[in-house]
Amino acid sequence: MNAPITFHDRSLIPVWQKVRHGERLTLEDGLALYRTRDLISLGKMAHAVQQELSGDAVYFVLNQKIEHTNVCVLSCKFCNFAARKGDADAYEMTTEEILAKLTPEIAEVHITGGMPPDWPWERYLDIVRTIHQRLPNADVKAFTAVEIDFFHKKFKMPIEEVLRQLKEAGVKTMPGGGAEVFSERVRRQLFNQKIGAKTWLDIHRIAHRMGIPTNSTMLYGHIETLDERLTHMTKLRELQDETGGFLTFVPLPFLPGDTGIKPRERFTSAIDDLKTIAVSRLMLDNIPHIKAYWVMLTEEVASVALNFGADDIDGTVGGEKIAHDAGAVTPMTLAKDQIIRIIRDAGKIPVERDVFYNPLKLHTTNVVGKIPFLNSAPFYAHFERRQFKILPVVPRRMGLLSERGEMDAGLFSLMDYFRQEQAFELLPWCIATRDQVKSVMLFSKEGWGDLDGKLIGITDETATSVHLLRVLLEKKYGVRTRFERLHAGVNDYSAYDAVLLIGDEALRRNKYGLPGFELVYDLAREWYDWQKLPFVFAVWAAKHTIAGESKRNLKEIIQNALDACGGDFVSVGGKHGRRIGLTDEETQDYLAGFNFTLGEREREAMTLFRDLVRECKVPVEGKA
Amino acid sequence: MRFSQIAKKVRGAERISREEGLFLLRNAALLDLGELANEIRFRKNPEGQVTFLLDSNPNYSNICTVDCIFCAFYRHAGDEGAYTYTVDEMIANFKRAAACGVTTILLQGGVHPALPFEYYTELVERTVREVPEVYPHFFSTSEIIGMAEVSGRTVPEVLRLLWDAGLRSIPGGGAEILSDRVKRKISSRKGTSADWLNVMREAHRIGYKTTATMMYGHLETDEDIVEHLDVIRELQDEGHGFTAFIPWSFKPGNTPLEKIIPRHATPVRYLQMIAFSRIYLDNFDHIQASWFSEGKKTGQIALHFGADDFGGTLLEENVHAAANFVNKTNVEECVQLIHESGFAAAQRTTLYEILKVYEGSAAA
Repeated sequence: MNAPITFHDRSLIPVWQKVRHGERLTLEDGLALYRTRDLISLGKMAHAVQQELSGDAVYFVLNQKIEHTNVCVLSCKFCNFAARKGDADAYEMTTEEILAKLTPEIAEVHITGGMPPDWPWERYLDIVRTIHQRLPNADVKAFTAVEIDFFHKKFKMPIEEVLRQLKEAGVKTMPGGGAEVFSERVRRQLFNQKIGAKTWLDIHRIAHRMGIPTNSTMLYGHIETLDERLTHMTKLRELQDETGGFLTFVPLPFLPGDTGIKPRERFTSAIDDLKTIAVSRLMLDNIPHIKAYWVMLTEEVASVALNFGADDIDGTVGGEKIAHDAGAVTPMTLAKDQIIRIIRDAGKIPVERDVFYNPLKLHTTNVVGKIPFLNSAPFYAHFERRQFKILPVVPRRMGLLSERGEMDAGLFSLMDYFRQEQAFELLPWCIATRDQVKSVMLFSKEGWGDLDGKLIGITDETATSVHLLRVLLEKKYGVRTRFERLHAGVNDYSAYDAVLLIGDEALRRNKYGLPGFELVYDLAREWYDWQKLPFVFAVWAAKHTIAGESKRNLKEIIQNALDACGGDFVSVGGKHGRRIGLTDEETQDYLAGFNFTLGEREREAMTLFRDLVRECKVPVEGKA
Repeated sequence: MRFSQIAKKVRGAERISREEGLFLLRNAALLDLGELANEIRFRKNPEGQVTFLLDSNPNYSNICTVDCIFCAFYRHAGDEGAYTYTVDEMIANFKRAAACGVTTILLQGGVHPALPFEYYTELVERTVREVPEVYPHFFSTSEIIGMAEVSGRTVPEVLRLLWDAGLRSIPGGGAEILSDRVKRKISSRKGTSADWLNVMREAHRIGYKTTATMMYGHLETDEDIVEHLDVIRELQDEGHGFTAFIPWSFKPGNTPLEKIIPRHATPVRYLQMIAFSRIYLDNFDHIQASWFSEGKKTGQIALHFGADDFGGTLLEENVHAAANFVNKTNVEECVQLIHESGFAAAQRTTLYEILKVYEGSAAA
């Protein structure tokens, strides 16, 4: 539980008021934050915002960096990596050499390197394709915008075509390098051969539109001004508003060393590092994660940064640096153990993730799952943690986690509860609709009756709604369709005849529309009109194995949280609602439409729904 | 028990109990602890200054009889690498340090089984006489107990004779964790917690100023840490003889304990220790963070968690170095590290008198 902030620097109070009301910060606000000496208050502000977004989670990934060559046609003053062809230290790796560096436990392969003058396009595709084929558990994160621009020019293909072929070969996401600082002044002085802000942003925009989520970065601590740092952040924020395709923001401290120029002799201070983490968390209100990249920040600062707004610590990449005394275990194992230790010590959940930030493993106990949608706010706004830690995770992923035994309790999607009924005790709270829901919506090009044989795209987040859709299609309307999972992150919906969206995205689209999909159906309304029953989307459940006292604590916490909320839904969800474009009135109406306690009619609806699902024939689950 | 109630007490300058301390240590969020500690720090030292000193930590001998399992420094007499310097050699060492601007010599040995008591009194006398630029800050409690045993004197007699020789200040090392449960495991031959406290009590009665330290991150529990701080706080009530409290983490390299505790505690734990000690030790004027013991970056951050002193520049250091933990600085960098943290830097003496202020702190 975090205490309210007692500001040492009172000039931060107006900025904090804005943050609390969900107002966007201006460049001037950013300057006030950067200039304060009240490091603790700044940290507490950023930590509070981080906790609203990602609870107690800190994400890490088992990853390996591949720098396929250091031969480069550019000669950036900054860089002490690049070599010329024929130099004694120049190297170029074959695909087989690259594979030899990868081990089966790796989940993310990060590929970026120099830009050699004579590699054919096929060689890049081959690297990606081969990794994709030979390491089925690993996803490829490859090529910065600088490299994409190089491919585009060298191989005379449009950016879209470069990205399309890479995606087809197996690239899932893109790293955010090469952004440096979005300032022409700085670019001319330090890296005039590199692409500027416009090209970098254009390439990321295109990637996002094509369904390739990317990272964003900022190189700081050289000659840039605070103004330039904040301008950089606001440009990223604008693009994120447009596309939603950034996964994380990674502030990279400039490391003075053996480079061509010395803009600064000293390493950045720990204070500047922590401020940059905190300020970026507060400024970048629309980017899900802030990364404390330990390889550059140092282990020391990265571990403290987890209390200053960061919820991402990268991964085992560069593991040899913290695992110099390897002995019998691999550097990867040592690095993983150390990362887990650092995260636990910061009081957080070490969440092992995949390339899209889906949680795979939690490495801790007493985790309570939270559906990160507005409709769960009444349970979590006043949730007193006690021994529990909170992990916000979309319904389907929560189901997958609890199937692996990773989740001790939480608000589970109904279908996930059904699947694991044996292991869990049902608690008497739920998220149930009365007649309509507004946040489980089918956006369609066709009416229900005309969907027979058509292709429906389903958000990757849903576990129960997709079955509700199935039941409605097969049992109510008597049509058979095909389903396809849309992967997390940005999506292109044009290939589908209808799309099922849930949660905040559905709420937003319900209000603002989804171009190309004229017909919009509320699934709870469809259910109610048909069965005259509420629909239960999620229920609270706790593992039978958790101790009696923990369970009593949990029940008390849930009831207290609901009591504290009362009927004042704006106080618990107003800020969340504003973030997704709802007025306070709309938030109040939306949340007042739910029933949060499990009554007789809700139980009746659960049983009926279960029976109907069992009778359905069209499969929905492809590969997880 | 609730955080808000305890915080209210702390803000009202009321003393917190052991139970309240344990609650804070276990349950308070890192930054909530830091916020409270920082408030106390500014209440006690409103100027926003951070002090440091120019010092050196040589050793006159590494021969030691107590065999602590957390130590990579000691040797037995006759072991390869065992050494004992003469008084002349030590005086030459101090002169070299003084020439580099050092004002404080923190001198410790091992607990030597055979050196005559006169060796120690001569060291003090000659330092005061021949190297007046430096202030002797000599001999940990276990060495003082060792001197009493070797010379057949009592601890108060030893302390009195060292005082007469010119010693005024004693380092607080060797406390580790003042809990006999822990001491039995990590340093069974080094004496009990009462031994350390008794030497300190006697020293304060005579008029010595001393520091108090804590080495955590080995086999102690949260309760042990609270106990440690509690007995130190009690002793400080008696005579206000402690100038500062200095925590650091156990460094496992090359020690027997390394097999059980392979890594030193994380920076977050250090910040907790700094902040918690600032809150608990309401009768201490200063809490010392260090650029040295946990890394420069962690040291900078600790200045926002209640610490108002940055330790010494450490011209020479051998004990951490024996555990493969090496970290170097100079005055210029020390001042810069403090400035970058948003504070004015001030060079001080062993007893916290300000010698020189370096203005020009800029917010990072």
